[in-house]
Amino acid sequence: MQTGTKISLAGHGLLMTWVVFGAWFPSEPLPSNVQQVALISAEQFEKLSQQRQAPQVSPEPAPLNEPAAVQPAPEPAPQPDPEPEITQPEPLEPAEPDPQVTDLPEQPPEPEVPVEVPSAAEEPEISSLVPQVRPETAPRPVDRVAPEPVAPPEPDTRIDDIVQPEVAPEEGAETEQETQEATAREAASDRIVTEENEGEDVAASAAPAVSKRPRTRPARPEPEPQVTEAAQPADTSDAVADALAEALAGGADVEAPEPSGPPLTLGEKDALRVEVSRCWNVGSLSTDALKTTVVVGVSLAQDGKPDTGSIRMLSSTGGSAAAAKQAYEAARRAIIRCGSTGFQLPPEKYSQWRDIEMTFNPERMRIK
Amino acid sequence: MRKILAALLIGAAAAAGAGAAMAQDGPLRIEIDQGVIEPLPYAVPDFVPETPAASEYAAQIARVIAADLSGTGLFREVPASAHISKVTGFDSPVKYADWKAVNAQALITGAVSVNGNQLTVRFRGHDVFAEKELGTGLQFNGTTDGWRRMAHKVADAVYSRITGESGYFDSRVVYVSESGPKNDRRKRLAVMDYDGANVQYLTNSASIVLAPRFSPSGDRVLYTSYESGFPQIHVLDVGQVQRKVLSSGDGTMSFAPRFAPDGRTIVYSQTQGGNTDLFSMDIQTGAKSRLTSAPSIETAPSFSPDGSQIVFESDRSGSQQLYVMPAGGGEARRISFGEGRYGTPVWSPRGDMIAFTKQNKGRFHIGVMRTDGGEERLLTASFLDEGPTWAPNGRVIMFTRESQGSAGRALLYSVDITGRNLKPVKTPDGASDPAWSPLQN
Repeated sequence: MQTGTKISLAGHGLLMTWVVFGAWFPSEPLPSNVQQVALISAEQFEKLSQQRQAPQVSPEPAPLNEPAAVQPAPEPAPQPDPEPEITQPEPLEPAEPDPQVTDLPEQPPEPEVPVEVPSAAEEPEISSLVPQVRPETAPRPVDRVAPEPVAPPEPDTRIDDIVQPEVAPEEGAETEQETQEATAREAASDRIVTEENEGEDVAASAAPAVSKRPRTRPARPEPEPQVTEAAQPADTSDAVADALAEALAGGADVEAPEPSGPPLTLGEKDALRVEVSRCWNVGSLSTDALKTTVVVGVSLAQDGKPDTGSIRMLSSTGGSAAAAKQAYEAARRAIIRCGSTGFQLPPEKYSQWRDIEMTFNPERMRIK
Repeated sequence: MRKILAALLIGAAAAAGAGAAMAQDGPLRIEIDQGVIEPLPYAVPDFVPETPAASEYAAQIARVIAADLSGTGLFREVPASAHISKVTGFDSPVKYADWKAVNAQALITGAVSVNGNQLTVRFRGHDVFAEKELGTGLQFNGTTDGWRRMAHKVADAVYSRITGESGYFDSRVVYVSESGPKNDRRKRLAVMDYDGANVQYLTNSASIVLAPRFSPSGDRVLYTSYESGFPQIHVLDVGQVQRKVLSSGDGTMSFAPRFAPDGRTIVYSQTQGGNTDLFSMDIQTGAKSRLTSAPSIETAPSFSPDGSQIVFESDRSGSQQLYVMPAGGGEARRISFGEGRYGTPVWSPRGDMIAFTKQNKGRFHIGVMRTDGGEERLLTASFLDEGPTWAPNGRVIMFTRESQGSAGRALLYSVDITGRNLKPVKTPDGASDPAWSPLQN
């Protein structure tokens, strides 16, 4: 068969196929949306966009309605009130102590708390590697702002620092059970909630809320203090020379012995920090006092109770003298209140925590 | 990855170990940067009546002091039912242990004596945990009808000793008292104690009155009245209830007046030929001077406490915003840049903040910002909040809140500048446009 015939047959075959089957596959145009567009002038557009703006308040007040024909009964002309006379205050003399009453009853000792309060300080060190994620729940407006938010307790629950479940004696129980009233921490929010942000949901975010600063490199241990020349030569092992050197160099140390023994661990320091911060109430401080950092020195007895007479302000920064006084008073109240049952410190390290310098820095407590 | 984590952990442990092994130098040092914010518990047992006629006042004075202190939201009263020891004599020693046991951190004791119509109130504040007096005791002498003021003065002294800020309880508020339905509201000027007691009306309700403002000494009130048919500024002597018109009645409208800190000059808005600008006027001579001359609307001026600057609202940028300019006029600096419209700015008596009304997305807010516009904080949010006024110590703001609907009415509210302690102020009728007086002498 000739090549031309083959091409002709193939072409005719295709033509016939299209004639027979072509109608079965109709190709309709795709549906398209037609939108009517009206052209408007620039002036019309301006008018339309002006209407969207908030109505302007006319600077001229609307004319007043004349009072109705019926005149209101004239009200009696206000008469001035006689001003109460108050003279300037006079300072009072301090009260003479009543000789009859001498011994004031001791404050009833607070019951020992057998359960240790779990503190943030006891978290393992690995927590510093895990970013703290913002809580997902919105803050509730409550009276108390504390570092850790606390859910509102049951209505009948007594408010206490320690959370304890209720224990009621079971009837028919073999062993005698001690009753225990349920206690819960007072409800607290971790920031001040105003009406404006009351209903706000805090978006859950994986971004860390707090990033810990990298630890600074520990300082090199200081070299041993040089023994005075009188005690030289240093290489002698003569006991007499040693005793002489000690007598000559150690005279001042008798008054203020340096702390010895192992220092407090970071966890023990954190536990003390948490104990004091729970009583450090800055709610009644002035805005000026909230800008003042005070360093307070205190000496503790061996049972962990602060010696109130030893509490003193060592220094202050950031505010006036009056503000520093207020800030110091709040710090002192915190130490006395939370130390009234004795701070939880390791007794074997007493020489390390006998004297403490506490820096109260309210920077993070201003407006949260 | 695991190797890196392990290396980090080993490094951290090594650092902790090195820190622990390091010898401690000097006393133990810790830094406390987290505390709690809660009301400070205090107790104020009934004052001791020292004369038979004083018993009537002794308990009432203690109650007013407690209401003042607890009303700030900074203090919480330990109720009398929890008290262990009773205060029987003003000079008896205080049993601090009893007050510590009920966790009262401050204690106020006092005595009252009455001689004829003369009332004497003595008090002492005590720091319970420090077991010492809070400053020295004070004595106030006055007349029996001023017993509430004397209670406020005691509360002011205690507040000031504990917080370090001056008090604001012995102060008054002038406002517009509103009665009647929304479409026929009768307005008259009224003055009351800051806590809503001792209401006294200064004008009758024959004409509309607006925006009363106290003078720096608290003896006079400026306000805008429609008595002549168009707004005019009046000044009223609060003690004598005498008034006079300040602005001339030549067809111009004058409104939004406010005293300068010297009490001799006022600054106000005046509309002339459809344009509103700011002017100042010497009250004695009536001499006026123009402060702004822009084609836009300038109004609601308020002086800084040192009298050197004025904050006001203007729509010169296209929307209502806040501006600050020198008190004698001159170039104004815009300070509000947030979304929405800002109005009615008021400079704090401390000089560090400006309170304002903000309208945004159909809600009204009372807010505060620094005088350069920074640190804007919105304290409230409602259908209609406006017209803030500062307490004399710059710690509390009072404002008007109007509720929605035809039955809606205006009431006064107060809020701490932290946004806490939002609460209504008790008034006999509806009330709007409050202005706080300075502390009374």
